[in-house]
Parts: sequence; structure tokens; C-alpha cells
Amino acid sequence: MFICHCGLNIAGVVDVERVRELVRGLPCVVVCEDYPYMCSEPGQALIRERVREHALDRVVVAACSPSMHEPTFRRAIEEAGLNPYLLEMANIREQCSWVHAHEPERATEKAFELIRMAVAKAKELEPLEPKRLEVERSALIIGGGIAGITAALDLADSGLQVYLVERAPSIGGHMAMLDKTFPTLDCAACILTPKMVALAKHPNVRLLTYSEVKEVRATEGGFEVLVLRKPRFVREDACTGCGACVERCPVEVPSEFDAGLGPRKAIYIPFPQAIPKVATIDDEHCIRCGLCERVCEAGAIDFGQEAREEALKVGAIVVATGLRLLDPRSLPEYALLGDGTNIITHLQLERLLSSSGPTGGRVLRPSDGLEPRSVVFLTCVGSRDECVNPYCCRIGCSIAVKQALMVKERIGEEADVFVCFIDMRTYGRGLEEFYRRAREAGVRFIRGSPAEVEALPDGSIRLVVFDQATWKLLEIRADLLVLIAGLLPPEGLEALASAMKLPLGPDGFLSEAHPKLRPAETPIRGIFLAGACQGPKDIVETTAHASAAAMKAASMLMKGYVLVEPYTAVVEEERCRGCGRCEEVCDFGAISVEERDGRLIAHVNEALCQGCGSCAVRCPTGAVTIRHFKPRQVIAQVAAAVG
Amino acid sequence: MAEKRPVVLTDLMSMARPSPELRKRISASLPGKADFCLQCARCTSGCTAMRLLELKPHEIVALVRLGFVEELISSKSIWDCALCLKCVEKCPQEVAPAELIMALRNEAVARELEVPERLSAMLMSILESGLAFGPRKRTARDGRSYGREDLGLPEVRVGLSEAAVMALMDLLGGA
Repeated sequence: MFICHCGLNIAGVVDVERVRELVRGLPCVVVCEDYPYMCSEPGQALIRERVREHALDRVVVAACSPSMHEPTFRRAIEEAGLNPYLLEMANIREQCSWVHAHEPERATEKAFELIRMAVAKAKELEPLEPKRLEVERSALIIGGGIAGITAALDLADSGLQVYLVERAPSIGGHMAMLDKTFPTLDCAACILTPKMVALAKHPNVRLLTYSEVKEVRATEGGFEVLVLRKPRFVREDACTGCGACVERCPVEVPSEFDAGLGPRKAIYIPFPQAIPKVATIDDEHCIRCGLCERVCEAGAIDFGQEAREEALKVGAIVVATGLRLLDPRSLPEYALLGDGTNIITHLQLERLLSSSGPTGGRVLRPSDGLEPRSVVFLTCVGSRDECVNPYCCRIGCSIAVKQALMVKERIGEEADVFVCFIDMRTYGRGLEEFYRRAREAGVRFIRGSPAEVEALPDGSIRLVVFDQATWKLLEIRADLLVLIAGLLPPEGLEALASAMKLPLGPDGFLSEAHPKLRPAETPIRGIFLAGACQGPKDIVETTAHASAAAMKAASMLMKGYVLVEPYTAVVEEERCRGCGRCEEVCDFGAISVEERDGRLIAHVNEALCQGCGSCAVRCPTGAVTIRHFKPRQVIAQVAAAVG
Repeated sequence: MAEKRPVVLTDLMSMARPSPELRKRISASLPGKADFCLQCARCTSGCTAMRLLELKPHEIVALVRLGFVEELISSKSIWDCALCLKCVEKCPQEVAPAELIMALRNEAVARELEVPERLSAMLMSILESGLAFGPRKRTARDGRSYGREDLGLPEVRVGLSEAAVMALMDLLGGA
């Protein structure tokens, strides 16, 4: 029995010496020692020595949460020749000294009780072996934005087979829509498209664009994924991307890539650098006039194509589904403003700034195509709002600074450019300097958010905002209003998360396994997170996160196997009567009733079992138990608590 | 949108409008730029004359930044500043509010607006004696009044030569 002081974390509250003396009086306790930092090398050496010296057959460590140092102490006793699962930890820090800092007497009492319970359970522990699972040496990336592209390239470069599924006709994501990136004002396409090309040409990568993940099933070696390949009605292998069909097509609809500001045809190639550079027919709007078919020299048009499913087997999945913009018209302030007003989102402005956009890079207002002389940016539209997104979109302020600068540059110094903000959060490297640069360029930053926005008949927009710096109620008449729209989880993320059993945070984005220590992992083994699907990020953060996810996936896949805790369900066959209730409650499809020797018996797939215990609770005969948490072991602990 | 443009900015409390040209002229001569101001208000936190100022240093900077300069030129606050330069020293963005206030004063004088009497008296004193404050008796903590003569100090030479006055005027940029 070993008690850790954890410096003053434990010993500052709990009277460790008293606990030690009390524990020494417990039956079966051969040794009881305390040490300032049990997790330190000398602390571990102490444990190893005592195990050898006294030939101990069970070890209890009273210290922090097992999620911190259980692996440390397991290794220590294993080195001393003991099975690592013959260790029990009593959490006297998080569950005792930290929460009872103001009542040291009772905390000391509780520490002893927790240890007494741990000792009782330790007596019942059984030696176990971790399970070794072989994994498929391939990965699936869901999402072809900059996060997915980065993760896919990293994994493919380390020699692994990579499948990338993207639901749009081309990879590229939001970054492909941007004109410049902050704070360096690098051309977004110039730094993105080389990566897109590298991905398309990579021998280890298979791109599945215009496709969606339909089903994910955990298997022994990883996952079986069902991908829905939507019909393009154009044969990818035949289309040369010449664009003759696009020119000929008579149907025009708002272009998604231009954020609705410009038209595209019913047969289209989303943008010049699209990958794959093939046309796609938008089935919803195509009128089947057949003009495209007539002009296609390659004979690539195929109206007979049908949606089909493709099954993939992969060892790891990297989710890189990005985010979407909040539609300002979903907010009461903007709900009544119709289309075609001179109120646009920052993504729409990005398309106006882009040379591949609907205006060829000229900032022109939608209503009359004239160049605005006054432009106002509003930050936090739908962000930091308890009725909409309580969270900060993180990148809005930097976007506003960048776009304000760009507008000044494009329209000219004499343009009046205002940014109305709540707090200016330009937090990244080089961004404070960037913000200063915008101030120097004459962008007027106003601390204050307007309560109402009014579209006037002449196309201008009237805003009234109280400026906290001058204590003036300012009326601003703008030719163009740009809303820095809040950022939301992408469409369909909830369904995808539930298919993969991934937890979502209160903001609707995917939750990581640990916010500090495992930011690119999920609680599900083999599934990793890259980029904004885990919360809004800028490009710098996204690529760093994506590479982290790829590294985590690669380290698992390159080894070829994973060791998992043996805390899985076991069926005592004599007691099982094959009722199947365990199968009903299992979230992981890990337990099923099978016929064996003429009768029905539950069978556990240990590769899938997560040890959650649902089946054990449900089992009416007590045939199903969870290793390391068997009734005998838990009851001993409970008996010690109440006895 | 070349033709007639609506006014972009209006102060709805006074219906005042910014004067961008004036703003440009005033800022042009200054070492610091109001544009850089982050509104941290460190200038006001440390301002010697804070209690006297109707408009605080950070507000003055903010008004200039938006172009509301007219109301500042006629404001009493620009004359209440002690010109201690603490704000210049403390500003993290090198905005120099005191320099701005000086520029606003110069604009007021150029327009021949009324200068507070104590200041014109001070100016007269400088012209006459070279001193902002002429020699005066001071009461010490022992309750007695002391003049220079009580301390055995020589009398202050009063009056400047014409050349010195001219040089001084030159230095102040006035005529």
C-alpha cells in the first residue's frame, strides 16, 4: 500500500501520516509507505523494491485519478514481476483533497475510507492481459477541405493507403473560396492548389468526391465504411474538363462556390482549379435537354448513371468535415431583409474579392453593380449571443481586419471603411501587427454593436451604433454591409457523429478525447479529428490539428496493431439462457446471441466491446460480467464502504 | 457611385458631422497617430488633469480618430490639459495625446477663438518676464510667508529684449 503526498495537493489537506498508520492496521496490508511524489522515478523505485522484498501479490496506490498515473504504476509493478492488472488505485486527490480542501479532518477520514475500499477490491483482482488487435493499414478521411487534404497527404506520405471522401464535386473546401489569407495576405488558392494537386497525383490516395459516408461499422481491424457515390452523370474517367458542356448548358442557378452571388450552370465545374477537373450535372436543376451530351467530344455525359454504394475497410478514420456559416437571415435582425440587398456575409465578400469570383475581383455591391464608397463590417453576427451561438467564432475579428484592409486596397484610400466590434480578438502570431496595419490604413474601428440595421430604398444601409470611445450615438450610412457571420457545425455532422458514436459538445462540434492532452483524438479508438469539425479554427490551427490527427492515426496504423484494455464483457455460458437482452442494449454491436451446440448463447466480440457494462446490468441471470469490474470485485468494495 | 453620396457618418446626439480634411491637417504634423489608439485609456488613467477634463484624453483621441474635430477645437478640455506629457510617456501605441491637444490649441488660436484668461495671463507674463509664473510669496509650513528677498535671493530681472520676444514668437510659430 503506497500513499502519495502529491506535494501539497494531497498532503496539504489529508493527514498522510495518520492515514498511513490507520492503513497499517488493515488486514492483509503487508507494507504501507508514503512518499512526496509517488509518480517520480524514486517513488516508482520504492514500489518496485517493496514488491520484490515482500513478494507482494497486490498493490494499492493512493494518489491522483487513475486516468493520470495508473499506467505509470502498472508499469512499475510489472517491472517488479507482478501482473500489471493486480494494481488498484484510490483517488485521494481529485475525489478527496481537492474537493474537501476546507475540511482536512473529514478529508483524512475519507482518504482512509477510499483506501479501505481499494484494498478490499485489490484482494479480488485477477491477473489480466491486454488485448492485441491487428488493424487495417489504411485510413479514411471524411472531408476534403484544407484539414482533410493535410491529414490525407501526411498519411499517404507515410506509406499508408488513404481514401478521401468529399461530398462536393471538388476538394478544396472553404479555403478554395478565399481570396487572401490573414495575416500574410498570401493568395489562398496559390498555397492550397499545390496541395490539392499533390493529393490527386499521390499513388497512395483515392479520392471519392461527390460522395458521402453513409454507414460506419466498427470491426475487429478497424471500420467498415459504406460510401454513397452520388451520380455525376458524367464519366470521371472520360471527361477532360474542357467546359464545352458548361458553356452550352441553358440552365442557370446560384453558384454554391460563389456563395450564391454568381450563377453557375446545371452542368458545372465549381472553380477553375477544381479537382477532379470534371463536370458534374446537378440533377435537381438539369432539364435533360441533352445539349451537353451533344457538344461533349469525349462522350463523357452519361444520364444513365445511378447512385451506388462502395464499401471500404480502413483501420482509422480522420473526421475533417469543417464548418458552415450561419445564415444571417435566420436572425431576427436580418430576417426581413430580402435577397439582393447590399448586406452580404464575409464569405460572399471573399468571392467578390477573388479574381475567380463573379466580379473578377472587383468589390461591387449586389443591388446595382456599383462600387461602394462606404463599407461597414459587423463582427459577432450570431456569435457570442446566448440566443444563437454562445461561443466566439475565433476567426471573425481577423477576417474583418483582413477584409477591411483588402476593401481599402481595392476601392482606394478615400473609401470609408468601418468595423463595428464588441472585442477585437486578433490573437494569433502576426495578427496584432496586422490589426495595427489596418488602423494605419485608416480603417475606423468602432467599439459598439448596432441594435438595428435598416436597408434604405436607395440601396444604402443605415446603422445606428453607440460608440463607447466617443460616447456618441453614430449613424452610419453604408453602401455595403458585410456581416462576419457566426460559424456552425456542418450540415449532417450530428448524423455522422451518431453513426460513429462520437460525442458532440454543447456547441454541436465534435468533442476531443481530452481538451489539452488528446486534442486530435476521440474517445473512440481509431477515430481522429482534424480541423474545424472540433470547433472553429483558422488555417494555421487547422493544418496543425490535421497533422496531429494524421500523426496519431499513423502511429497506430504503422505499428499494425493496438493493445487495448482487457475490460471486456465475458459470458458464463452455463448461466446464459440466450434471451438476447444484452444484444438489445449494446451500443457497439459487440455482443450477440448465437446458436452453439443446439442452444442460444451470447457471444462477445472483444475487439468491439468497450466494457461499458450495459449488457452486464441488463443480463437477468448474471451470466455477463465485465472483467476487472466483476460483481465480486465491486461488491467487496461496496461492502468495505458500508461495513 | 461617383455622383452625390449621402453623408456617411452623423453624430445623432448633436447632429455633428466629421471634418475629414481638418482631421487630416491636424494629424499631419503629429508624431503619433490617433488611428493607432486601442482605447486602453492608459492616458486617462494616469492623467494629471483628469478631474478637470470634461473630455478625457482617450476620448479626445477617439473623437479625432472619427473626425469630430470641430467640437474639440471649441472645447474647454483642450485648455485644461496640464501638458505634463505623462500620456505621451504611457501610451502603448505611441499616440501622444498631449501633442494632439497642442495641435488643437494651435488650431483654436489660429481661429482666434477665446483662450481661457489664466492662460492669456500666463502668456503675457512670459512675454514680460520670460516666466510663466512671476515671483510670488509662498507660505511655508511654519506659517510664515517668504519672498525671494526673505531668502536673500536676487531680484528677478523683469522684461525681455525685443529680440528675445521675437525669437520666442518664432519658436512658438506665431506672429
